[in-house]
Amino acid sequence: MRLFLYLLPRLAAMIVTLLGVSILVFLSLRMIPGGYADILLGPFVTPAAREAISQRYGLDQPMALQYLRWLGALLQGDFGVSMVTRQPVIDEFIRRAPVTLELALIALGLALSVGLPLGVWSGIRQGGRRGVDMARLVGALGASVPDFVLGSVLIFVFSVWSLWFRVGGYVPFGQDPVGNLQTMLLPALTLSLFGIALVLRTTRDAVLRVMTEGYITAAVARGERPRDIVRLHILRNAAIPVVTVVTTYFGFLLGGAVVVEVLFSVPGFGLYIFNGLLNRDYAIVQAGVLLAATAFVAINMLADFLYAVIDPRVGASE
Amino acid sequence: MKRRNLMGTAALLALAPLAVMAQDTTLTWGKPAEITGFDVHVAGTVASWEMYQMVYETLLTTDADLGLAAGLAESWEQTSPTTYTLTLREGAKFSNGRAVTPDDVIGSLERIKNPETASYWSPQLGDIASMEADGERGIKVELASPQATFLPALAHITAAILPMQELKDGSFDPAAQMLGSGPFMVESHKQDESWTLARNPHYWREGYPLADMLEVPIIPDESARIAALRDGRIDFTSFENPDAQGMLANAGNIKVEAQQTTNYYRFDVNALDEASPFHYKRVRQAMNLALDRDAINDFVFGGTTAPDYPVPGAFGKEACRDLDTYAMPRDQRLEKARGLLEEAGNTSPEVALTLSSANPVLGRIGQVVQQSLGEAGFDVSLDQVPTAEYLQKVFTDGDFDFSASWLAGYTDPGMVIKWWNPEFAVWNGVFQENVPELSQALDDVGAMQDGAERDAKLTEICRMIDDGANLLALVGKSDYLAYRDDQVDVVLAERSGSANTYQFIAEFEPK
Repeated sequence: MRLFLYLLPRLAAMIVTLLGVSILVFLSLRMIPGGYADILLGPFVTPAAREAISQRYGLDQPMALQYLRWLGALLQGDFGVSMVTRQPVIDEFIRRAPVTLELALIALGLALSVGLPLGVWSGIRQGGRRGVDMARLVGALGASVPDFVLGSVLIFVFSVWSLWFRVGGYVPFGQDPVGNLQTMLLPALTLSLFGIALVLRTTRDAVLRVMTEGYITAAVARGERPRDIVRLHILRNAAIPVVTVVTTYFGFLLGGAVVVEVLFSVPGFGLYIFNGLLNRDYAIVQAGVLLAATAFVAINMLADFLYAVIDPRVGASE
Repeated sequence: MKRRNLMGTAALLALAPLAVMAQDTTLTWGKPAEITGFDVHVAGTVASWEMYQMVYETLLTTDADLGLAAGLAESWEQTSPTTYTLTLREGAKFSNGRAVTPDDVIGSLERIKNPETASYWSPQLGDIASMEADGERGIKVELASPQATFLPALAHITAAILPMQELKDGSFDPAAQMLGSGPFMVESHKQDESWTLARNPHYWREGYPLADMLEVPIIPDESARIAALRDGRIDFTSFENPDAQGMLANAGNIKVEAQQTTNYYRFDVNALDEASPFHYKRVRQAMNLALDRDAINDFVFGGTTAPDYPVPGAFGKEACRDLDTYAMPRDQRLEKARGLLEEAGNTSPEVALTLSSANPVLGRIGQVVQQSLGEAGFDVSLDQVPTAEYLQKVFTDGDFDFSASWLAGYTDPGMVIKWWNPEFAVWNGVFQENVPELSQALDDVGAMQDGAERDAKLTEICRMIDDGANLLALVGKSDYLAYRDDQVDVVLAERSGSANTYQFIAEFEPK
């Protein structure tokens, strides 16, 4: 019951947020210059041709009517049809979901497996001065090198010297597991660098904060083993901010890592939404942004739920 | 690589059965961009045309000299200035096995002409007065007025022949499917990711295509396409960027061919916006003179192309070549340009060059032009925007000073030159001045057959175009085809007229 009461207002906020996102994405798409008629006909678009294309795709209707129709269809599970292929966009999102999910999971795995130990290590200063400096360097690099820069460097290097990896494209895991890893590791590595920095810095700060708490001093005074202090007191109490950033980061990854998917031609959500935006294929972008926003707020809900599980004090007042 | 002289087409056709391959063979084409729509009569983008050319066919096609050659029509005849008779090839079938009929031809051309289709190719076909079937394979077309470019217009992929019977009975939707009589048929499509095409078992050229399957991964990033070529994942691809030649120079099994085309890079100059310095003809003329087309060729294209003319150089016509814009030494042109700017009372015009971000070559052209125009006193800023925004600014709103793009030269000088008449073209109506004498001359040349009289008229037109300096040809646009010569034998035409680099895809042979 405590959990239900804690999550109920968040659920309501989620619905309002998604409604706001739907209005924003719908309006902003129609406010940016150029439309599908321009893309389809290239320079040859004439007023008559534009009108014919607009009629064909229902774009000649009043904007409010277009929005309400889209929303109505959305509530019935109809995300619309791509203007380029005339196929339901939801089918394409479902087809791409495993690609984006795999990329997100590998990137998250890399971020956690590097960022967490480094963060704890530098937080409790067990690596000595040099270790702490190295962790800081990794954190600073990860936070300051944009993914398009790292991705471009990796593409250049590995397109000249293959070194086992493959640049561009996608091979389904079920079809060829090794080929899948060859194509997915570079984009995942590109994506994970920021995640490593994020997790590392957050973990280090959280650990440093917990280390100053009285119960750590008490644990030391009680003669508990350092390993137990770290595992039972430091990690558990430092977990909440780490869970927050990890879930936010995972939501970002699930929303489609646009730049990386475009750079490496990974056929996930990001590439689909990016091309949809370039082509002014409204249904794709609207559905994509809404799905990404849904994933994002749902994961934040999950984080809220985890807070309440990790720390019983959270939500008690509600 | 085989350079294809189409004079040998007949001999090849006769030997075709010998070329039938027993084993399953697959070609892999690394395509740089996805199509923008399925409807072959509507989409006006090269990315779409390239895919349509795998599946659809036109009545006519072109030979090595860009002359007309048989396509779906095995013969054609012009019986009067306005009357044409075409005879369909026996055995031509759509990939569903149904024979191509005169009704498909008539229905397809009517569909292009129908304003509801919104086909940009409608004006190029001219004013068709009537069409009727002439026997089982003949089609008689009557034009309302002479149009010498009617037949070349049939050779462009946008004039593809669709299965009209299936379209009418609803079993084929041209906006969502492809069903043609070309060498391949679509087996599956993953949007923005890949296409799988299979051999059309009913293709009229027995034994062709030589490949059973054509896999088409979409790889927009140039470096990724280079990597895919290097590790052998793709057999062939193309590049806009001439640097590909240099980047692949030392890759053992990879060859890069530059194919000459009738296409050229161009500037659209806004003569109609009163706020633009180019509203004044003297300023436009000064800009045209100050342009250093040789520098564009040298610095952007590494000398692989050449300055080009409104009548594309690839057609071998002399028209336009003796204009000051091309023939006068650059220092004299600069002097003349400065004089024109003084006459216009604006010795340092500030102008913005609007560019689409889709093509990296355009940005480089912009940088060279920025410098060369600066020598005459122009202050040029570059405005690179997303494609849809560029298209709207330039072709709908007319909200720009000048912009860079490229123009398809097609297969006859009379086709591309028509775009200088804004009433005919319509797409340039927001920035192109309507000069009645020029429009009349363009109408006249449209009715003339190739020959000395038409060449003289083209020369006259060139002078008028140069005087208006409203739509400028810059340098020829070559296509750069890269392929693995250990994986595929490719066949290329010496020259291409309508972005038809893969005209002979049926003859590409996997190794």
